[in-house]
Amino acid sequence: MRLTLFPAALVALAPASAFAVHYLSAEQAQKLMFPDAERFELRDVAADAGSTHAGDAPMQVRIARRGDATLGYVVVDEVVGKFERITYAVGLNRDGSVRQVEVMDYRESHGHEIRLPAWRRQFEGKTVASAIRVGEDIANISGATLSCQHVTDGVRRIVARIDALRRSGSLG
Amino acid sequence: MPSLPPIPLAGIRRPRHALLSLATALAACGSGESALAPAPGTNTVQLSAAAALGEKIFRDPGLSASGRQSCASCHDPDNAHAPANALAGQPGGALLDQQGGRQAPSIRYLDTNRAFRFDDEGTPTGGFFWDGRAASLQQQAGEPFLNPREMANPGKAEVVAKLARASYEAEFRALYGNEVFADVDGAFQRMTLALQQYQLEDAGFHAYTSKYDEFLRGRAKLSEQELRGLALFNDPSKGNCAACHPSGRGSDGSLPLFTDFSYDALGVPRNPELQQNADPAFYDLGLCARPAGDLAARTDLCGAFKVPSLRNVARRHTFFHNGRFRALKEALTFYVQRDTDPRKWYPLDASGQPVKFDDLPPAYRANVNTSEAPYDRKPGDAPALSDSEVDDVVAFLDTLSDDYQP
Amino acid sequence: MRRTPLSIAVSTALLGAALSMPAHAQTPTELELARKLDRLAAELAEVKAQLATLRAQGGNAGTAAAASEAGTATRAAPAPATADAAPAAGRPTRAELPTRAELAEPATVLTSYGEINYTRPTKAPQDAQVDLRRFVLGFQHRMDSKTRLVAELEVEHAVSSADDPGEVALEQAFVERELGARLAARAGLFLIPAGMLNENHEPTAYYGVHRNFVETAIIPSTWREVGVQLIGNLDNGLTIQGGLSTGFDVGKWDATSTEGAESPLGAIHQEGAQARARNLAVFGAINWRGVPGLLVGGSAFSGAASHSQPLLPSARVSLWDLHARWSPGRWDLSSVYARGSISNTAALNATLVGNPTLIPERFDGWYLQGAYRLWSQGDYVLSPFVRLERFNTARDYADLGAGLTPQAAGTERVTTVGVNFLVGQGVVLKADVQRFGLVSANNRVNLGLGWSF
Repeated sequence: MRLTLFPAALVALAPASAFAVHYLSAEQAQKLMFPDAERFELRDVAADAGSTHAGDAPMQVRIARRGDATLGYVVVDEVVGKFERITYAVGLNRDGSVRQVEVMDYRESHGHEIRLPAWRRQFEGKTVASAIRVGEDIANISGATLSCQHVTDGVRRIVARIDALRRSGSLG
Repeated sequence: MPSLPPIPLAGIRRPRHALLSLATALAACGSGESALAPAPGTNTVQLSAAAALGEKIFRDPGLSASGRQSCASCHDPDNAHAPANALAGQPGGALLDQQGGRQAPSIRYLDTNRAFRFDDEGTPTGGFFWDGRAASLQQQAGEPFLNPREMANPGKAEVVAKLARASYEAEFRALYGNEVFADVDGAFQRMTLALQQYQLEDAGFHAYTSKYDEFLRGRAKLSEQELRGLALFNDPSKGNCAACHPSGRGSDGSLPLFTDFSYDALGVPRNPELQQNADPAFYDLGLCARPAGDLAARTDLCGAFKVPSLRNVARRHTFFHNGRFRALKEALTFYVQRDTDPRKWYPLDASGQPVKFDDLPPAYRANVNTSEAPYDRKPGDAPALSDSEVDDVVAFLDTLSDDYQP
Repeated sequence: MRRTPLSIAVSTALLGAALSMPAHAQTPTELELARKLDRLAAELAEVKAQLATLRAQGGNAGTAAAASEAGTATRAAPAPATADAAPAAGRPTRAELPTRAELAEPATVLTSYGEINYTRPTKAPQDAQVDLRRFVLGFQHRMDSKTRLVAELEVEHAVSSADDPGEVALEQAFVERELGARLAARAGLFLIPAGMLNENHEPTAYYGVHRNFVETAIIPSTWREVGVQLIGNLDNGLTIQGGLSTGFDVGKWDATSTEGAESPLGAIHQEGAQARARNLAVFGAINWRGVPGLLVGGSAFSGAASHSQPLLPSARVSLWDLHARWSPGRWDLSSVYARGSISNTAALNATLVGNPTLIPERFDGWYLQGAYRLWSQGDYVLSPFVRLERFNTARDYADLGAGLTPQAAGTERVTTVGVNFLVGQGVVLKADVQRFGLVSANNRVNLGLGWSF
């Protein structure tokens, strides 16, 4: 915490620090989304399982458990914003609706605003039946169009895939 | 002084008393003695030995065949280094009975001029003399010594012989070697070099002390009439003078020279006062007829002469290459009425029509600039400048004279 | 985290102080600062020690995760100390973050944008023209996880040689360093944050074949300066930019050309090309994107522009703008008002009277633009738009006296109606019609192809 209080000039003069600047680790993201979860089970999903797109990659689903109950799912994904990767996590409720979206890493010069809660909250409650498209049910951020679109597209793919996996019973 | 902050200027002001001392020195001319150097401390920049020698050569009538003509005779330091009289051509030759073929120009503000060339757009630019035939001040300085209508020495040897007898011959030898006079070409070359050095070093040749300079420096205000004149001078639809005589600060912060060193054919009427014009077959063709013959094939340049600086133009007694006009207002009026009222300027032919551009053979009259303002008009049109506007421009040109005293 | 604004303020102040502080200053404030430095250094050492411990833990966690992937598919995730220690606020603290080795690797990304336009003046079809307006090659090179170089090299009008109209120019060349999660610093040749187009000038980012007039004639896009800049991204949606940079050079004003009448600042910008830097400029911009789909912002720039040049009265160039963009659903509505001024033009113009283009005292303009995403299928998006513009590059001249003061220019009114057709996210086809209210001879029809990646 104190680091953010460091005057910028001092930080700049200090030897290059080793830690990468990002906002959340996967563990922190899942804890944030499911504070009641006792544990998270990692479930690897093959590229074609529940796939709705030809280009889908293998995916790892983190299943939030409390006792025997499934609270929901967390998927960590990466998309390219304009030039750089954006790492984000989508939390989904048991019914497959979006619970929360967190940006874990954002490295572009512009468009940091996709981290803003107001923008991310737009996804809450979206289901496979929703459009989840910029310019329809998701508002754009001026100056960060590509980041918005790519994250939105990513969320849409994850929602669709989790829905398919859930229906097929492969998420237990 | 106006309230604007002064802008520093580095050693380009010439103290007035230096000019006075030169004037005093001039009174001593005719004795073969050159002018005395200015009293110590009167010149902000002390002349180098070569330049000081150059000044003595510049003022030495003893170097001419007549013994009565120095550089300063036609380039009078007290008259903006231009003739002090209103003759169409200056007298020269061994007996001072030969008339020069062209008007002697002022030789001020030439220190930044360069050798003749065609610029990137093919426009002839630069060079010294009305036709740009000399490549440098040095080369220019040598020609009058040998011109039969000017200082009229038969050859360099005669000039060098006169140098060897001059009162400053010891200084010449001290500077260029004891045996310098033994080598005629070498001595002549060093003489012109000293003349060039004098013109480069002496602030009087580029004083930048006009009222307009002070105005640009924010230290003087132009009167309303002078300002109106400046506006008319600049305005492309009025005088359009600045098109060839730029009036603005250079992009590097330099003061304007009021010439772009280009060439133009203006169609100035023939001047009967020039003896060479007694021959109806004679035409002074300017650029295309340079003695070297290098531009003879460029007949499109026939009739073109160098655009002179307008600095000190109000101190001139004759205007244009052939000295056709004797008043600045008349010269300006010619510009704006040449095409609207040609009868006023040119003789009439048998059918009663004015012979425009009569100082050029008919074949080359098309070379005359008729496309740009203020020429882009026909008889009966209103001139680009009215009579009172011409007065305004004259008032502005008056601010271009050196030695302004608030 | 709520202290971020404070940290930006502190660092801005410090940077400013460092730049302006004379070397001999020895004030109580400086002593205080020195004490603070000592304290902060001690804290830094402490944090470094913590970090080392954390790194060791993070390494262990990584090994465990790898093992799990190799082994059984289902297992309980390791519960790192960080998760247990998650504070009540629900947000982890920065110092606890593990490293991500792969992000620290250098990475270079090649970028490009360009546009080819066809312009046909409706009243002078003989002047119809096709122009490879600009072709830009750029790259971003990340030197480490926090430092990157951004550069863009532009060729305008296809061919650049002594006999061709083209130009080659560096549009951007700057180094950016992340100073914190919400704070970055830039130094080099960068785009000034002004209006909405200047920093986002790729053809896929704006409507219409040609860039709008307000953000070319009034704000001289693509407008770049050499300087230093701090960028703060606040959690409330505010982006604050500010810094010191080179500015304009009024000595470049050419009263005999019409360039200054087309874009007063475009005629005197320096673009980092042996830029006169006797005087520096300050600039700042605030943009708020706190509500999805909404952007409200403004910018200001001011700098002395005479640089103590001989024969040049002192002058100051200032420019500010307000802008907003709102994109509810399929709509995309935006507006910019920009206004510039040059001080002391009476003195500057006094020596230029009568010339065709004197220096205006004030110039301004605004536009309103509405676009609607009418149709989309797969990669294709079709968006018609309308833009209304009013701008005046010489709204006012300083008084030079009767007969000498130029008349203020007329206000041009441009209506642009057209359509952007996006092919994927990187290619756009454009078509529009432009009507000019003041000089209708400029009316034109435009077609364009643009790309950006």
